[in-house]
Amino acid sequence: MAKRGKLEIMQNILNIIQQNHSSIKITPLIRRSNMSSTRFKKYYLELLEKGFINEISSHKNKLVSLTEKGERFLERYKTIINFIKEFEL
Amino acid sequence: MPFGTGRMIFEGFAGPPFRNLFKLGIGTELFYSFVIITCSLMVYYGTKELYELSSYKGIKYFRQAFLFFAVAYFFRSIIKFLLLYFGLNELINFSPITFGAFGLLTQLLFVYFSSMAIFYLLYSVMWKKWNQSSYNIYLLNIAAFVIAFVSILSKNHFVHFGLNVFLLLIVIFVVYVSYKNKKKGHNLYLIYLLWSIFWILNIIDILIPNLFQGLQLFIYIASTITFLLILYKVIKNVGAN
Repeated sequence: MAKRGKLEIMQNILNIIQQNHSSIKITPLIRRSNMSSTRFKKYYLELLEKGFINEISSHKNKLVSLTEKGERFLERYKTIINFIKEFEL
Repeated sequence: MPFGTGRMIFEGFAGPPFRNLFKLGIGTELFYSFVIITCSLMVYYGTKELYELSSYKGIKYFRQAFLFFAVAYFFRSIIKFLLLYFGLNELINFSPITFGAFGLLTQLLFVYFSSMAIFYLLYSVMWKKWNQSSYNIYLLNIAAFVIAFVSILSKNHFVHFGLNVFLLLIVIFVVYVSYKNKKKGHNLYLIYLLWSIFWILNIIDILIPNLFQGLQLFIYIASTITFLLILYKVIKNVGAN
């Protein structure tokens, strides 16, 4: 269950970025993801490592943007979850 | 081309060993292996993107199971070819100085990959319930190697049969435990169970060839149907991609 929860959390974070025209500042992203900053950091680093998001520094702000791979994850999320359920994985 | 070369080539291919080969249905064997290997690889590559995006362990073990099935079937085809070509019943009948060592190595790899394929399939369903340690996979690999070594070291058919019945009992136990905890019936377990039964019959068919004389075609058809059923379920869920 923990891992499925993890996929869901990742999808939530990516969804927030997508709803914000695919880029958002980090503070509102933490706030809208409803997680503690420690917990958020863990998922955030994983999303960065997997190449689902990018960090863009412009002026004084640090923006988080969705990559093509991140968009593909959102597109295929339902398929992944259905597949896991169907095969009881 | 020297005179008579054509006839020599023809005799080479249609001489006693090859005549035997065609008589015993190498076409059926090749077609069967081709279908199973293709189905397995289609499942493996069809789920590649889902795994790359999710890194989900259950999908990883599920894919590994099919990759190992494909490799096992490749070695199975080699064994069948050798047996049919030399008109032998069992690999142990090979002379050690001709194909004996090659045949035994192929058998070792076939039994190892077959056992691991079944273990991976079970693990893909059970990994969350078991202690999620990476040692589990090492232990399963060791178990598969032990089974493979026993299968080549022992010339006793009862040992081969007993090992595979033991494997089947493990599958039935795992399927039963998983099925018992489900509120609603799930036909997947039935498919897995049938699949494991036919797979183990395939292993026994290689290790003790005369045991299922006359039932071979039935085992082949039933195994193909179960593989196609799982492939259909995968394609339905994954989509055209």
